[in-house]
Amino acid sequence: MRCVRVWFKKMGMSRYVSHLDLMRAMTRALRRAKVPLWYTEGYNPHPYITFALPLSLGMESLCESMDMRIEGDSTNEEIFSMLKDNMPPGIEIINVSEPVFDPKKIVYGEFDILFDCKNNAEYVAELVKDILSKDELIVQKLGKKGRHKVLKDINLIEFIKEYTVSHYGERVKLSIILPAGSSTNINPSLLADEIKKRVEDTSYTLIRKRLLTENLEQFS
Amino acid sequence: MISKDVEKILPLVQKPGRYTGGELNSIVKDKNMIALRYAFCFPDSYEIGMSHLGIKILYSAANKRDDVWCERVFAPWTDMEKEMRERKIPLYALESGDSLTDFDLIGFTLQYELSYTNILNMLDLAGIPVRAQDRTSLTPIIVGGGPCACNPEPIADFFDLFMFGDGEEVSDELFDLLIACKKENTSKYEFLKRASQIKGVYVPSMYEVEYNDDKTIKSVTASDNAPEKVTKRIISDLNTVHYPDKFIVPFIEVVHDRVVHEILRGCIRGCRFCQAGFLYRPIREKSPDTINAQCKALCESTGYDEISLSSLSTSDYSHLEELMEKLLSWTEDYKVNIALPSLRVDNFSEKLMGYLKKVRRSGLTFAPEAGTQRLRDAINKNVTEEELMNTARQAFSGGWTAVKLYFMLGLPTETYDDVAGIADLAQKVVNEFYRNPDKPKGKGVQVSISVSSFVPKPFTPFQWEAQDTMEELINKQNHLLSSVKTKKINVSYHKVNISFLEGVFARGDRRLSDVIEYAWRHGCKFDSWDDNFLFDVWLEAFEKCGVDPLFYSSRKRDYNEILPWDHLDYGIRKEFLIKESEKAYKNETTPHCKIKCAGCGTNMLNGGKCDALCKSMV
Repeated sequence: MRCVRVWFKKMGMSRYVSHLDLMRAMTRALRRAKVPLWYTEGYNPHPYITFALPLSLGMESLCESMDMRIEGDSTNEEIFSMLKDNMPPGIEIINVSEPVFDPKKIVYGEFDILFDCKNNAEYVAELVKDILSKDELIVQKLGKKGRHKVLKDINLIEFIKEYTVSHYGERVKLSIILPAGSSTNINPSLLADEIKKRVEDTSYTLIRKRLLTENLEQFS
Repeated sequence: MISKDVEKILPLVQKPGRYTGGELNSIVKDKNMIALRYAFCFPDSYEIGMSHLGIKILYSAANKRDDVWCERVFAPWTDMEKEMRERKIPLYALESGDSLTDFDLIGFTLQYELSYTNILNMLDLAGIPVRAQDRTSLTPIIVGGGPCACNPEPIADFFDLFMFGDGEEVSDELFDLLIACKKENTSKYEFLKRASQIKGVYVPSMYEVEYNDDKTIKSVTASDNAPEKVTKRIISDLNTVHYPDKFIVPFIEVVHDRVVHEILRGCIRGCRFCQAGFLYRPIREKSPDTINAQCKALCESTGYDEISLSSLSTSDYSHLEELMEKLLSWTEDYKVNIALPSLRVDNFSEKLMGYLKKVRRSGLTFAPEAGTQRLRDAINKNVTEEELMNTARQAFSGGWTAVKLYFMLGLPTETYDDVAGIADLAQKVVNEFYRNPDKPKGKGVQVSISVSSFVPKPFTPFQWEAQDTMEELINKQNHLLSSVKTKKINVSYHKVNISFLEGVFARGDRRLSDVIEYAWRHGCKFDSWDDNFLFDVWLEAFEKCGVDPLFYSSRKRDYNEILPWDHLDYGIRKEFLIKESEKAYKNETTPHCKIKCAGCGTNMLNGGKCDALCKSMV
C-alpha cells in the first residue's frame, strides 16, 4: 500500500459540484478506472481518499489534488493512464505524483478573478487598482464565535499578499494571492463581490491557480 | 449546453448541479441530424427524478434510435424558478439547454397524483399553454404515461394523449407516427386520429363523458373511430427488451444513487390494496444470466458500489438464489453491495440473510401492512404473525438490532382493535429480541413503525371503497400513538391532508381539471413536499370550482357505477375484482398466483402466458 497524489483541473460545469459530491464522483471514477484502491479494513470497507483543500462551489481550479492509497505496484504513470479517460466531464487529470508536502502546509492560494466588462475594461482596471491601493477595504465575513456563526468585519487589504491587475479585450484580470488553508482562509469572492458592487453590470469568474506554502513555494 | 443566461443565475441558487446537465453518460446528439426531439419530463425535483428507473430505461431506449434525441427535464426548485421567471428564461432540457418549445414531443411520467400541479408549472415555465385545446399546432405534442395514467381523467384536459402499460414499444410507434406526420405536415387532429389507432394509446379528446344528476358518470362515448376500450401494452419477454448498459451518473447526490435492476414485472401476491400489484400484471421474470450480465456492465460504466434488485416483491423471484450466487461471484471483489428491497416475511430464509450480510449490512424492512390477522386476511396480505416472528428471530440472531415495519391506517373493514394491533405486533417483535439468547451484548433494539394512510386506487378490489376521512385517520393515528407503551418502538406517520388529496385525484374525473388549474394558478406546486403544500389553497380551489372532494374520496361506490376509468383496460377482469372485494369482507384470503391462478385475466394480454403459471405447472 502506498499513497499517491492525483492532480486535476476542475473546470466548466464541474465547478458546480460541491466538495461532498466531488468525493462521491471521484470514488466512482476510481472504480470505473479499476484503480487498485486500498480499502479500509473495518466494518464498512471504503477507499481512503482525501482532498488537499476544499474548493468553493462555483470556483474553477487548475490545481486540485486528491490523495489516495493504492495496493500493488502500479507506477504513477500507470495510475495516470487508468484515470485519464474515466473522469466525469469537466474534470481533467494532469498528473500523478508522490506527495511532497502535507496539505496542512498550505498557507496561500493564488487566484485569478476575471471580470466581464462590456466596453469599459480600462476604466474597471483603474477602479480595481484604486480600490486595492487604499489602506482599508472592510467587508463582512461569516466567522465563528464559539459554536455560533457570526458576521465579523475584516479589512481585506491586510490579507492580500500580492496582486497584479491587467486588462485585455472586454476582460479585467486580477491575479491575487490570499490566505488559504486551515488556519486563515479568505475566499476571493469576498473581494470580487465588493468590486462588483462598485462596477455597474459586470459578472466575474474565479479560478484557483496554485496553492502555496508559507514561503510561497508551490504545494506539491 | 446550458445558456449564458442560465449560467449567470447558477451561483444564486441552491444545488446548482441540478441544472447544469453534462453528467457522465448523458447523451448529446447533433440536432440537425434528428427527425424528432423528445423531452422526457419528470414533474419533480432532479434528485427525485434521477432516482427513477423508468426514465433511465425509456431515455436509453429512445436514444438508441438515430433519428430521435431524447433529453431530460425536471421541475426546477422554487428558488431557481423565481430566478428563471424574473429573467424570462424558459424551462430547458438538460442535454441541449434548449427551451421545451423546441421539442416535438413532450412526455411526462405520472408517478404520483400530487405531482400534477408541477406538470402545469413546467409547461407554463416554457410558455406552453397548459390546456390541450389551446395548443393548436402539430407540435409540441404533450403525452403522459406511468402508473397514474391508469386514471388520467383529472388531468385529461391538459394532455394530448396517454400511453398505457409498458412504455418501451409503444413510444417507438408514437415516434414513427409523429415523424411521418411532421413530414406530411398534417394537422394535430389528424395526428391524434392516427395515434388513437395505436394499441395502448388513449386520446382523451376523442371521448365524450356525460354525467347523471347525482354527479356519477352516465356514459363515455368514443368518437373519430377511437376504440371503445383502450388496452394497455405489455412487453412480452423481458430478456429481449432493451435495458440500458449505461446510467447517467449525476454529479450531485440523488435519492437512489446506485445501479437498479428490474428483475421481474408484476407481482404474484394480489394484496387487495396494492395498485402496482394489479397494474403491472402479468408476471414476467428476467433470467439470472441476463440480469447478472446487465448488472456487471452497469457497475463498470457507472462506478456505483451498490446494486438494488428491484421489483414489487423481490423474494418471490423464482431464481433468486441462483442470481445471488452469480452476482456474489464478482461483487465481493468489486466491493459492490447488493440491496434487496421489497422482501416478504414469509419467504425470508437464513440463506438469503447470509447473502445480504456478505458485503455490507443494510437495514431490514418488512411490511405486515396491518396489525391483526383478521385484517391481514381481509387485505390478502397472506402473512402470519408466526412468520413475522420467525423472521424477526432470524434477523436478531443474525446480528440485526433495528427493524422497520410498514403499516397502513384506514384499510377497509379496519376497527380500533386492528389499529391497536399494530402496537401489539411491534411490541411482540421487541419481546422477540430479548428472548434471543445470542442477542448482541449491550445493545438495545429499535423497532420503527411507519404508518401511511390507505388510499383506494383504480384497478384494485378496493376501487369502490370510501376512503377514511381526515378526522377518522387522525383519530386512528392518535389511538396508535397511545397504544405504544415503550420507547423501543418509534412511530412515524403521514400527513392526512396529503393522503386525502391523493385519494381525490386517484379516483377523480375530468371535472377536477379546473380544480388543479385553479390551485396551480394560486401557487400550488411541489405538493408532495410538506414545506410547499398549501392545503388551504386546495380547499379554496374545490370551493371555487364547485367540486365536493368527498364525492371522490369518501364515497362508497356501487359495483354497477360507471367508474371514470372503466373505458381503460388493464387486462384485469372486473368480475375478478368484485370477487376479491367480496372475499375481503368475509376475511377470506386468495392464494398467490404460483399456488393457484386466481383468474385475474391479465395473462390474456400476453397470449395466455404468465410466468407465475408456468412455474406452478413444472
